[in-house]
This record gives sequence, structure tokens and C-alpha cells, in this order.
Amino acid sequence: MSAKPSFLVLSGDGINCERETAFALEYAGAAPKIIHVNDLIAAPETLKSADGLAIPGGFSFGDELGSGQILALKIRHKLGDKFFKMVEGKKPVIGICNGFQVLVKLGLLPYPDAEERILALAPNESGGFINRWVGLNVDPQSVCLWTQGLEKPTIELPIRHGEGRIAFNHGEEEKHYQALVQQGLIPLTYTEDVNGSYGRIAALTDPSGMVLGLMPHPEAFIFKETYKTPGARDIAKGDGALIFENIMRIMKGEESSYERRTG
Amino acid sequence: MGAAVRIEVTAQIADRRLEKWTREAREYLDVPLTAIEEAKVYRIAPAASARNLSASVKTVFGDPVLQAVSFAGAEQALKGPEPSFVAEISYRPGVTDNPARSAEEALALTGCPSEVASGSLYFLFGQVNEVGAKKVARELLANELIQKIEVWPYKEFVKLKRFDGVKMPKAVFAHPPKAEEISLDLDDAGLEKLSKERVLALTLPELKHIQGYYRRPDVIAERAKHGLPAQPTDVEVEVFAQTWSEHCKHKIFAAKIDYTGPEGKALEIDSLYKTYIKRATKEIEKERGLDWLISVFSDNAGIVRFDDQVDLCIKVETHNSPSALDPYGGALTGILGVNRDILGCGLGARPIANTDVFCFAPPSMPAREEEDYMPVGPKPPRRILEGVHKGVEDGGNKSGIPTVNGAFFFDRDYAGKPLVFVGTVGVMPPKLPNSRDSSEKKLSVGDRIMMVGGAIGADGIHGATFSSLELDENAPATAVQIGDPLTQKRMADFLLEARDMGLYAAITDNGAGGLSSSVGEMAQMSGGAALDLAKCPVKYPGLSPWELMVSESQERMTVAVHPSKKTDFLELAKRRGVAATDIGAFDDSGFLTVLYQDKLVGRLDLGFLHNSLPQMQLKAEWKEPQPRAAWSATTQLTGKRKPAPAKLQDILFALLSSPNITSKEKWVRAYDHEVQASTHVKPFTGAASDGPSDAGVIWLKPHGGQSGNGVAVSCGMAPRMSLCDPYRMAQFAVDEAVRNAVVAGGDPDKICLLDNFCWPDPVVSAKNPNGAYKLGQLVRTSQGLYDICKAYGAPLVSGKDSMKNDFRGKDKRGVDINVSCLPTLMVTAMAQVPVAATVGSSFRAAGDLIYLVGLKGALGLAGSEFATLFDAPDDRGPAINPERNIALYRKLHQSLKMGHIRSAHDVSEGGLLVAVAESMIGGRLGASLYIADAHDVLFNEAPGRIIVSVSPDKKAAFEQGFKGQECHLIGHVGGDEKLSLAGQGDILLSDIISAWKKGF
Repeated sequence: MSAKPSFLVLSGDGINCERETAFALEYAGAAPKIIHVNDLIAAPETLKSADGLAIPGGFSFGDELGSGQILALKIRHKLGDKFFKMVEGKKPVIGICNGFQVLVKLGLLPYPDAEERILALAPNESGGFINRWVGLNVDPQSVCLWTQGLEKPTIELPIRHGEGRIAFNHGEEEKHYQALVQQGLIPLTYTEDVNGSYGRIAALTDPSGMVLGLMPHPEAFIFKETYKTPGARDIAKGDGALIFENIMRIMKGEESSYERRTG
Repeated sequence: MGAAVRIEVTAQIADRRLEKWTREAREYLDVPLTAIEEAKVYRIAPAASARNLSASVKTVFGDPVLQAVSFAGAEQALKGPEPSFVAEISYRPGVTDNPARSAEEALALTGCPSEVASGSLYFLFGQVNEVGAKKVARELLANELIQKIEVWPYKEFVKLKRFDGVKMPKAVFAHPPKAEEISLDLDDAGLEKLSKERVLALTLPELKHIQGYYRRPDVIAERAKHGLPAQPTDVEVEVFAQTWSEHCKHKIFAAKIDYTGPEGKALEIDSLYKTYIKRATKEIEKERGLDWLISVFSDNAGIVRFDDQVDLCIKVETHNSPSALDPYGGALTGILGVNRDILGCGLGARPIANTDVFCFAPPSMPAREEEDYMPVGPKPPRRILEGVHKGVEDGGNKSGIPTVNGAFFFDRDYAGKPLVFVGTVGVMPPKLPNSRDSSEKKLSVGDRIMMVGGAIGADGIHGATFSSLELDENAPATAVQIGDPLTQKRMADFLLEARDMGLYAAITDNGAGGLSSSVGEMAQMSGGAALDLAKCPVKYPGLSPWELMVSESQERMTVAVHPSKKTDFLELAKRRGVAATDIGAFDDSGFLTVLYQDKLVGRLDLGFLHNSLPQMQLKAEWKEPQPRAAWSATTQLTGKRKPAPAKLQDILFALLSSPNITSKEKWVRAYDHEVQASTHVKPFTGAASDGPSDAGVIWLKPHGGQSGNGVAVSCGMAPRMSLCDPYRMAQFAVDEAVRNAVVAGGDPDKICLLDNFCWPDPVVSAKNPNGAYKLGQLVRTSQGLYDICKAYGAPLVSGKDSMKNDFRGKDKRGVDINVSCLPTLMVTAMAQVPVAATVGSSFRAAGDLIYLVGLKGALGLAGSEFATLFDAPDDRGPAINPERNIALYRKLHQSLKMGHIRSAHDVSEGGLLVAVAESMIGGRLGASLYIADAHDVLFNEAPGRIIVSVSPDKKAAFEQGFKGQECHLIGHVGGDEKLSLAGQGDILLSDIISAWKKGF
């Protein structure tokens, strides 16, 4: 792995967190490149040469017809196999907020091989959009490479979404939930109920641990200057930075698990 | 095109909005609904090339977990008892339909290009009759100005053959799309009739000025030479009306005013704008030797330099009239519109923060006994609040711009027209990659005129002229429109990319007046322009040339592109999925030449159009305050106020839970205030993240600025003070805005201001007999503004005025009424912030000392929230001493930078005790105050005052800093969760929190 892993950061069609996501990746030691979804469609081979991919937050296609719905369709119909190959190629992929919704709509989380989706990100229990800070428990047993070995057991990040409630297929909730828990596919849970999400699920990973989808915004808390309240003098860096630094450490081979999984 | 189909999509998961509407139907409308179920309706007309329609539809509209698509009727998915009524809501033809536009893109992606129209079905459950069902549909579910409502009893609805012979909405125009000649050979009455019928909003002298122009022999000869009729075309008349509208031209602020003040002395004022606003800035710039004013009053927004690496621009607009008619669409287009001002500022800036301030009638209005007295036409206050709020939410969130600051102010006099102030801050690099100054627009003869973004429709025709009139019951429906944040976001991304690639020479937004104003203004730079309206992309055919010229259809910018860059510009637009069309070229003919399908339909002399309008002559008088106008018997204030409760805590709780003070957290958290990851001070902070902040602070490093640098955005206003003295209203407003910025860390010596005036009609006429008094209030406000800006050394960098905020019409009983807004000056401040100096508004630790910076004592209750709720002594209200205040703010800023202060919070609505209570809530800490418990000490809202807390070990250093200044130790922060006042019982923090969190 080169000194600076290259990361594609998707933009366009109403995505709106590409700049801070790229900023966060750069801070953590990656070489991010913001790429418009139309440019990616025009040159899909770009996916092959990149080391990782981020689908940032935003309101792709204005959230019409369900958040993430149309961007997922666009990726499926215009990039198709090339996109799925990248993900199956076991390169790190992160989908934040709207990006998480896209990954779920694409069927890449939590089970990329499943025939039928078992869950969705439904409208919040409150019925509306909410921006607030949340506490998140990090599951040390999770297979997720983005959060594995994170220095802190709980972290704080902001959420900013209207459709972030994990809802399972009706009647099969507990069965699916328990399976996810056992397989370590729930890397982050809210410390309190914030949107009605089943089991307070805040993030999901796939069985390879390479793909992370999460509703909270790690890119919004890289520096102490954007902490929830001003005057926080004793913070060295934001909790969101830990997640990006973690994956960089693994990609740069400081951890053996990455080599093992990708090798 | 294949036969159109209809589908109905039902959610698998309960929707909380429907529960809320059900509750509101019972509570506010007296309709005994038990439940509402919704199904989305899509009508889809597939193109000839479309394949596999039903498979596509399932993929596009369905979701295996969330939503089911039905081709046979959503009622089949209903559970439980049968609904009683069904309401179907669909957009009127030509209205922006965002779900449909997105659905069309999605269907095209799946190989099934189609035309789509969206709507909703609502199944109403419970013992509802037809009148009740219609009431719910009209007042809760839809807005008839933009939507069609159909209501059926359920039993009849299910028999409808609604899936057969599905029809698509079509915009149909009665007139042929060509230019008409309009004769101005009319007498005075005829001219005035013409103005009213065409919604021109031109005055008789203005109409005669145009009439005179067309009678000039040289004009007649020149027109004959070009084959134009001697009389103006409709295109020309409409361009005059837009360009000369109060909204665009600010004629009242430019007028010559004969003013008599309280001293009885006459004063002739040659333009309030030049005399009090522009002059203040010019003098401050010179006296203080400011080097950070980059562009003021000349562009779409003011530009300042608070950072070596990025420039900041800021603009605040109002969108009152559209918000009165369609609160959601009005606020949404307001936000998107002011964002475009920023995109069109200089060579284009990136919006980084929104601020919004609402002045509404109280959400609880009308009480039962007030219902008959409400104006007919404007939406009920609660609907306006909810609609505007949702519009701001979608406008900011979907554009990826954080809403970091704002305010709600409630007063009954906003029941005729709500005031919706929307503002945006932008950043731009001082120099672009091609080393051009980003603040400078420069275009050349021959540059192409490009219209970029959305297409033109009939929506938004006459916005500029309509908003220059008072509201009555007959507002034109086309003045209302819905915004499309996705189209604008794509356009914004594209334009900033094109800017950095140096693909265009100049840019401006299409706002009020549409192409008429954007091309008309840019043409002044080269000395002329010619465009062919038939080249403009349209939403549907049939629009007349004049409609294309003045339509305010949203999401459009006008850009000047050098011919050598044209191909690259259009190619990039195509790659970004943005419409860009070459519609003409700039020239130096001295004329704005308008063609339609190559035929000349208008030719306007730029000199006459922009520089010939005679100055208005007005009279103004302000001797003493007049009592507030009562617009109905039951809304009179006098005699209605009750005596204040005996117990101090009951007064405090009443204040804390009043709409002007209570927590707005529920509303504000629906706005994304952190996107772009640079919001340093957020709307709510403190131990439980629910203490109110005084300003929003954006950290500039993520935007390319210096790492320790930030910018505060705050606001201030004191509309009720206009009832005491408009001069002080202006000063209080500026003081509050500045103080809010300073407590949030803003440097009082690096602060700029924006003035937004919203006034009731200040021109005397038969229907407006006390116009001179209202203009007198405007004069005094301007004088107060000038004086305090000079005293604070704070330049005004941008501003806007909105002059006819009146409703003249009938109340529900059919009685003529006139509801005028309170004269309102809303001031926005933007200040440079060293981010290491910010502390927040919440108390930090027990034992810290509490100081009141500023005057202590009985300072006057007039104009306060206390005096609105309770009977209060009839005093003249607090005084203000700007010189003393600014000196205190400079000291405070030094103390913040030196780390002497642990929290700082301004004393505003509710007064001293409310400010302390708010700092307690934020810190989840108690307080003991050693201060007199007189009402006029605790609850006056005198300006210039700040509550700070200081750690005991910093006591000496802090006090040294304020030596000789008004700074009073008034108590200490307590560990026990209560507020203790000498001589009064303790008030529990938990009770304070619940009173403040009552909300609305």
C-alpha cells in the first residue's frame, strides 16, 4: 500500500458533504479525490485504480421517492458491475448518512449476497429531520475494520437526518437483529433512542468488515473547533477523526488484518 | 407516447406527520378525525421508447421494506374500519412538482423515459362530514393556490374509474404567444386602470413619464426606423414596471423627503439611503481607515475581508408577500433566492451559512373569540409558521448550507403579512486560479448571454411588482411558486467549478424581475444587450414574450461568457446535468434589444430605463409616538393586560414560556446547522446541548481560511420599541446584533452590519391617511441607525427594504380592515472571531461569579416582554448610550481573549432574570443573586447588557479589565439546582427548565 491511499469521494446530484469528507480523509492521511458521479460513469475504470470509496451525506435527488433511492438506481443502472466489483474487491467503502442509505438501497449492507433486503432506513420515529449530537457505543467485537480497535469505547458525533431509523422486515425483526449482533455487523449503536432505530443501530458493516454505513457524521467532528459546544479546550481531536485514522492505519499495513482480508 | 397509467404508493411504516395532522384537525379545526392515511399518487405517461413500464415502476417507486406500489388502489392496503372521506391533492398545471421531476429522471435511468405528475391521496377516518373533510383538505393538507383539491365520500371514491383514461396536467394559455402593442394614449384614469389590471404597480407620475417618452419625436422616429410600433410593446411596459418597481428600485429610500421632527424643525432629506446608510459607511470607512471593505452596496451582496485567505460576502433578503400566500414555497424560494445572490456576488461565492428571522402573529392566534376578526386571505398564523419553517428546512438542508442563526418574533400586527428574513454568508478566494479578483465582474462587448439552471414557466410572474403592493384578497396565483433545491444545487456546483476554470466573465442571479432585471443590469456594463426570448428553455409552450422576459421562475442565473469559452462552458454544463442556453450577446448599442423568434419585440434605451426616473417627493412627520393601530376590537392591547402575579416565580415562568422567549429547539433542530463541518458555535450548547446561543459562529479553516479564524453571524431587532421611539428602535436593534456577535466571540472592531427594513406603507394616500407618520418613523429609524453605526464604528455593507407590509381587505365578518406590520428594522451583524476566545452562553461551574456588564437598576419596562404580558408602568422605555456600550464590548472582547470569562450571554427579551435563567439551563447549574427584586430591575430590556460568569481565580484580573466601567458583581453560580434571590423563595431549576421548554 502506498503512503497515501487514494480515496474517491462521490459528488453531484445533491450530495453535499463531499468537501468535508475529503477534508477528513486528507487529515487522516489519505489522498482523496472528489469525483462527480457523472464523471465516474463516464470513466468507470477510475474505480479500479482507487484504494477506497466514500459516498458522503447530502440529499441526493432531493430525497424524493425515498432517501438514496434514485442515486442507488443511478449507480446500479449506470455503473452496475463495475461498482459492485469494487465493493466485492474488498476495498474500504464508507457511506455516511445519505451514503449509508444508498449502500442499503443497493443491497450492499448488511448482506451483499442476499437475494432480498431484510432492512431499510425508514423515516425517524419523530416524523422529521433532526440535527443533534449523539453518544455511540463502539462494539469491540464487530468485524468492521473502520471501528476495530478504536481507542474509545464510546464516541460522540452529530446526526443530521430525517430517515435514519433501521427497520427490519415486518415480523422478522428480532431474528434478523440477533443475527447481525452475532455476526458483529453492528459496529455502532446509539447510547439512547434518538430516532426509533431498531436495537439503536447507528451503523452497519458487511461480513468482510470493509464496508461501513453510518447515520452519524464522523467527518463533522475531526477537530475540536466543531465539537457540540464551544470552549472545549481539552480535546486533542474529534472522535470522527479516530474512524478515518483507524482505516488509514489498517490500509497502510500497520495492522495485519487488512492484509489478511485483502491478500 | 403510450397511455398514461396511475399508481398509488403506500408506506409500510406509520407516518408521524399524519398523526400530527389528525390531532390538529381535532384541536384547531373542530373536525373529529380519528386517523389519516396517505398514499402517494403518480400519473405516468411513458414515452414511445419506454420499455417494461411496470417493472420500472416497481423498481423506482417501491421498496421491499418501506413502500408498496399498487396498480389497483391504495384502499386495498387499508386496515381497520372504513374511511369516511377521501381527499386527492394534485399540483395545478405548471406548478413545480419536485417528486415528479426526480421520478422522471429515475424512470429514464431504468430505460423507461416518461412524463410524471405527483400527488397524494388522504383517507380520512372518523365521523367526518363533507364540510369537515374539505376544511381539513384546505387548511391542513394543501394550498389551493398551487394545488387542486378533490374530496369524495369514500363509498363514491372507490367506484371511480380512476385507473382508466388517466390524464396528465397541461398548462393551457388563453392568449397566443406574441407581443402586443399597449397604447398609453390614455387619460389619467385610463393609465391607472392599466397599471392595476396588469399588476404594474406604477404610479401615475411614472406612467406619465413613460407616456411622455413615447411621445418624443426622436423616439417615434427611432422606433419607426426599427419597425417598432409608436406605442410601447407589452414587453417594454413590463420591463419598465419591473425595473422601476419599489422592490427593485427602492424609490422610497431614494425619495426627496420633507421631514418635520419632534423639535418642529423642517429638514429636507435627499434620499434616506444616501444620507443615512451609504454616508454612514463611507464616513466610517474613512474615519477608521478600514481596509477590509472590499465591495459594499454595489453588488448582490456586501464583501468584506476578515481573513487573509478568504473573503466573506453576506446578504439578507425578505420574502414576505410570497410567504403570506404560500408559506412553504415563499420561504423556500426566499432561501434559494438569497443563496443565488451569494452565487452571483462578484464572480460567484460559495454559500456557507444561512440565517433566518421570522416575524409572525403568535402561533396561538386566533383565540376562539378572535376568529371572526382575522383577515381573509392570509393563512392562519400557525400554518404560516409551519409552512415557512418547512420551507427554510428544505431550502437549507437540501442545499447543504447550515442554518446557524435566526430568531422568531411574535406580535399580532404581523397577522396581515408575515416577515420572513432570509440571509446567507458566502466565501470566495480573493483571487481566482486565473488571478482575476473574485470580487470584480467585468464583461465585454460580444460576450454571450447564457441563461443557466431551470426553465421558464408562468410561475413567479409579477413577483417584483406584486411584492411592491399591499396584499388584498386577489393576489395573482402566478406570484406564488415552489423552489427546486436539487436543480439549484446542481447549478451551484457547476457554476463554482466553471468559476475556478475561468469559463465566465460575469454573473448575476435571476431574482425579482427575471431576465428583465438580470440582463438589464448586466447590459449596463457593456452598454447594451440583445437577446432572443424564443431561445429560452421553457417548462411548457405558450408563454408570451413579456412573460418570458419577466418570469421569476427559480433556480436561474445569467452569465456572461466570452465566445472563446462558450464551447467549454456548455460542455461542462452538459456533463453536470445543468441546462445552459445561449440566448444572445452583450453589445454597446445603448439599448436592451429584445427579440422573439428573430422578430423585434422590444427596444429599451438603457439611459432612460435606468437613469431617468424622477425622484419621488414625499412628506414625513414624527412629533411623538402615536398609539398602536387596533385593527379589530378584540385585538386591542389596551385594557387587556392583567396585573403581574404576586410571586416572582410565576412571572418568570410566564416569561420563559411566552412564544418570544420559550425554547425553539424543536423547530431549530429540524434545520441542519452543521453541514459543511465548520459550525463552531451551534444554536444550542451547554451541558445538555439545549442552552440558547446568541450567535452562530462558522470556523473558516474548512473554507480555506486561517486556522484560528471564524466569523459570527447574529441578529437584533426591537420592533415594539418603534411604538416608543423609532430612533431608539434602530439603536436597540444594532446594539443587540452587535452584542450578540461580541458575546459569541466577535471582535467589536471587525464587525459589519446589514439593515433590513420592513415597513407599513409610508406614502400618504386616500387609503393611507397616516402615511406621513409612518414615513416619519422611517426617517427617525434611519437617523438612529446612522448615529449608532457611527458610534460603534460598524459599517453597513448591504441592506434591503420592503415597503408595503400591509393587508387591506376584509375580516371574516366582511368588515374592511387594515393590518399593518410593526415598523421593523432587522439588523444582521457579521464579525470576525478568534475561535480560541469563544466560551458559549452557559454557566460552567458552581462557585463562578456572575457579573452584569452594563447598567444595573430600574431602567424602564416599556417595549419589554413583561409589559406585553402584564400591566406595567407607562414609562418611556430604556435609554441607550452607544459610546458606553461599545467601550464595554471592547473590554469584554479583551477579557474573552485573555481567558478571564467562562460564559457570556446577552440580556434581551425578558430581561436580566431570564438571561440568568437561560445560562442556568445551559449549564444545568443554579444561581444565587444579590439583587433587588423589583420588576423594573429584573425584567427591563435595556440594551448594552451582558451576563458573564468568571472563575473565582480570575476575579481580580477580570475586575481590573473593567475598572471604571459599568460592571456589577450580582451573584454566583450555585451547585444546588435552584435560583435564589435575596428576599424571595428559591425557584427550582427543573421548574425553570420545564417553563422554558414549553414551546409552541
